[in-house]
This record gives sequence, C-alpha cells and structure tokens, in this order.
Amino acid sequence: MAKKILIVDDDPNIVTYLEDFFGDNGYDTCSATDGSEAMAVVKKEKPDLITLDLEMPEEWGPRFYRKLVKEEEFRKIPVIVISGLTGSKYAIQKAVASITKPFDRDKLLAIVKDVIG
Amino acid sequence: MAMDNTVLLVDSHKELCNALEKHLTRHGYDVKITETGQIALSDISINKPPVVISGTQLPDMEGVDFLSNVKDNFPAVEVIMIINEGDIEAGVTALRLGASDYISKPINSGALEVALQRAYDRRDYWFKFKAYEKMLKSVEKHKALFQQLFDEVPCYISLQDENFRLTCANKLFKKDFGDYIGSYCYEIYKHRTEPCRGCPVQATFKDGNPHQTEEVVTSQHGKQYNVLTWTAPLRDDSGKITQVMEISTNITQIRKLQGRLTTLGLLLGSMSHGIRGVLTALDGGIYRLETGLKKENQKQIHDALEVIKNMIHRISSMVIDILYYTKERGLNWTQVNVMDFSNQIAALIKPKADKHNIEFVYKFDHPKALFEIDPETVSSALVNILENSIDACLDDKSKDKSYRVIFRVYENEDHTIFEAHDNGIGMDRETRENLFTLFFSSKGHRGTGLGLFVANQIVEQHGGSIEIESEPKQGSCFRIKLPKILPEEIKNGISKQEIS
Repeated sequence: MAKKILIVDDDPNIVTYLEDFFGDNGYDTCSATDGSEAMAVVKKEKPDLITLDLEMPEEWGPRFYRKLVKEEEFRKIPVIVISGLTGSKYAIQKAVASITKPFDRDKLLAIVKDVIG
Repeated sequence: MAMDNTVLLVDSHKELCNALEKHLTRHGYDVKITETGQIALSDISINKPPVVISGTQLPDMEGVDFLSNVKDNFPAVEVIMIINEGDIEAGVTALRLGASDYISKPINSGALEVALQRAYDRRDYWFKFKAYEKMLKSVEKHKALFQQLFDEVPCYISLQDENFRLTCANKLFKKDFGDYIGSYCYEIYKHRTEPCRGCPVQATFKDGNPHQTEEVVTSQHGKQYNVLTWTAPLRDDSGKITQVMEISTNITQIRKLQGRLTTLGLLLGSMSHGIRGVLTALDGGIYRLETGLKKENQKQIHDALEVIKNMIHRISSMVIDILYYTKERGLNWTQVNVMDFSNQIAALIKPKADKHNIEFVYKFDHPKALFEIDPETVSSALVNILENSIDACLDDKSKDKSYRVIFRVYENEDHTIFEAHDNGIGMDRETRENLFTLFFSSKGHRGTGLGLFVANQIVEQHGGSIEIESEPKQGSCFRIKLPKILPEEIKNGISKQEIS
C-alpha cells in the first residue's frame, strides 16, 4: 500500500503542487490549509509523513506540532518543515528536515524517500 | 650679548668732544668721535651705535639735517642734541624731529647722565615695541584665520555657559538659527522651555568629557534638521570648565536616504515571506505544466497556466510596491467622490473607536465633490492618522473624561481638507516636530515610528500638506490638505526634485 503524506499549507497553489508532485512519485496525499484543521485530518487519515508550513493565518505550524507530539499515537510521525521563513530550522527542532521556500523538489523527494521509503 | 654702550660723538667743537669723551669713558661708555656729519652717517650705517650725541652745527651740515637723516634711515638709533645755552627753540625742533633729548651748553654732567639713560631706555622700548608689533600682527593673522575657520566650518558651532545660554555662535549657526547671543540653547534649537533630557552640554559640564547625541532640531525658518552633536569643554587657567562648545553636523540628507533605505528594507523584510510563497507556487505551476504536457492532461495544463499567470501578476504588483517606495513610480491617480471615499475610511475606523468606547463623529459636506488622488495610498495615510487619534485617546490617563474623535471633511477653493480631531493626550512641541521622522514614536513599544512617516510622504507626493495643532492634555488636530486637482507634473509622474 502507498505511503500517505499530509500537506499542511495555507496556499492552495502550493498544496496542489505538492499533491501532484508526491502523487506522480507514487505517494498518496491528503491536505489541510491551517494548523487548527490539520489535527482532525491527522486523526482521520493517519499519514506516514507531514509537510508543515510555519506561518498560517489561524494556527501556526509550531503550535500544531506541539499538539501532535502530545498524542501517543501520532508523536512518531516524521515532520518536514517547508516554510518561507528563513531560519525556520529552529522553529521545530525535532523536524526530520527544514526546507526554505522556494525549494528544490528533487531534494525534497530524496528526503521523503529516505524517511518513509 | 652684552649691552652695546657705544656713544658716537659728532661736533665741530673738538675740545668739547675730548672733554665729553673723558667724562663718558670714566662712566663706562665706549666713546667714538667723528668730526663731520658725513663720516658720522657712514659710521652709523656700518656700526649702528645705540646713541649719538650731536652738536647743532657740524662742519658739513646743519645739526637738524643730520638728525633727520639719522632718524629717517636708522630709526633705532637715538640722538641727543647739544644746543647753545638758552636756545630752547633748537631743542624743541630737535625733539620734534625725533631726538630722544637735548642738553644745553654748558653741559651739566647730571643732565648728560639722565639724557643718556633715557636714550638707552627709549631704545629698549623701541625694540620691545617692534617685537610686540610683530607679535600682534601674527596674533591678528592667527585670530583672523581662526575666526574664518570658526565661521566657515560646515557645522553649527556654539559656545554655552552652564545655564545653556549661548555666548558665541558661528556663521552657519546664525544663518539657520538666528543671532541670539544670550538665549537658551534648547529654545533656539528645539523651541523648548526647559533643558532637553540627556543634554550632552550638561554631561560635559559634569564630567569634562566630550559627549555625542543625535537630535532633530528646528531652524528659525521652521525647517527640521537631523544633527549629530559633539560637545567639548573649554577651561579657564585654573582648569575649571567655564563653557562648553557644541558642534553639530547636519546629517539630514543621510538620514533621509537612510530612511528611504530602511523603509525599503522593512518592506522587503515583510514581503520576503510572501515572495517565497509566490516563487514556490510559481515552481509548482511550472512543474504541473510540464507534467501536464507529458501526460497530455488538458485540464492540468490549463490549471497550471492559471497559477503561473496569477503568480506573475502578484510578483509584478510586489515589484511595483517596492518601486513606489523608491519613488520610481508616479501616482496611480483617479478621480474620486470625496464622500464615498470618506465613508469608506470612516467605516474602517468606527469599529476600532466603538471597541474602546470612544465616540466617533464624522461630518461631511458637499456630497458631490470630487478630487484627484491615488485612493489606495491616501486611504492608508488617513486611516493611519485616524488610528493615531484613537491611540491618543487611549494613552490619556485622565479620569472621568469621555473621549471623542471627530473626522471632518470640507473643502475650500482648491483643496479638499480632512480633519482628525481628538481630545486625547496631546503633544508638546518637540513631539509635534518629530512626528514625521522615521522611527520616531511616542508610543513606546507599540509604535514602529513608521506610520506617520509614510503618511506624510504620501500626502507630500500628492502636493498636499499636513498641519498639526496640539496642546498637551487637550488633544490634537491633524489637518490634511490635498489639492482637488493634481498638478500636471505630479500626474506625469515627475517628482519635484526633477523639476528643480
């Protein structure tokens, strides 16, 4: 069964981009446009990996992340931060990778493959 | 060098000369006798004896001619004339011609002694006088040089006593701040009624060290200058600091440029996140276009193209925003109905006023009036000013006061006038004058110091002006005047600097 990636980003253009890109490379995807909405999607979809934007209108990425790691069932889900903020690697230190927009998609794919196969 | 005590004697009366020689030699003088005026003159020109004693009648010339000749050519040589008994007139003539003294025949040794002593003294004075004259000339020259330096230095220089009264100022200072010796520094520079906080002059009086500050000062013509100020102590002979010199360099232009660059930097900083998002979406659009073409998926191709078009539009409007701050772009002006425009602004302000229980009153006349503005920028300037009015009410700590902001719009012949009137905390003159300075904020951590700076730029770009009336604790009134019809050069996007 294909691995599933949850894409959390408030820009629908970027969500579509990542959905298409991961889909073309054999992954299933689901998405959320805000941190507040993302938790519900996690519970429903049980993704294998999450790409997380930091700056979003309602609830920022780090807050969502704190909620995520409180849940025993989800705390091991690897998170890749994809953000427009520079210095974003300090925002969520336990993230498996922090990538600054605009990013090199092949490098992103390499990281994803490395983490979840 | 030992004192030259040569005395040159010149007289036709040989015996008298010999007698005098003996007498003077006994008294320690080195005496030389010549018989004619010519020989005496050539001896004087070579040996420069300090004192000459001459008779009134020489074999080859009159004593007075000899005297004139000596004084004209060798003014440092003192001449004593021997006159005939009772011929006071000859004595006076000799004095007039520059003789140091005269002695009358028969020669009294005491009178001779006095005359000689006075001649030597006079000669001393003469040399001293010449030396002083020379010194004085060089002092005058230096003084003139220093005065010139003081005046021509392209800085404001002033001296102040410990009460901050000006005791001296240079030319540039007088030109821009007036010639008011004896006035208070803080009055002249800042129009304040008491010394400024953190005054560098005061600090220098205290510790004797130079101090530096940066200030915004207002000239006598009402212009504001950013100045970088240094102070230095002036001490009297005992080392006590009597005055402090203040040197201020006008750095307004640098600050203006810096202000522009900083605004641009802030703008780019706040845009950077957005730009990164847009570029990522643009990447996505291109990826989906490429894969769509490969898969021959018409819908995906179409969607991707839409994304690319949108993103390019967003990038171009961002670039145009940046250009706005670098003033490369003229105004995006259009004719606007004053009342519609004002209603929109009031609608943005009212909720904020309501939230804080501040009464918001708006009064508009002339429902059909039109004016030419760039509505987007003017609206942001007016909203900024009105939000400040609300903040001014919130900052006032008086009790039992009901606050009110009045937004009034009216017009005169050429201008549309917006008034934002509040009965809040008010401003002193210093705050009022610093209001449009970049990063000046009276709001502590809440203010960025950016808002009114940009608002003022927007109004100026429209050829308009902002007037402010304010009294501490009474409230403030901002009056924004905008021309109803934009001047042609503004419409054509030519800035004022380029015209002049």
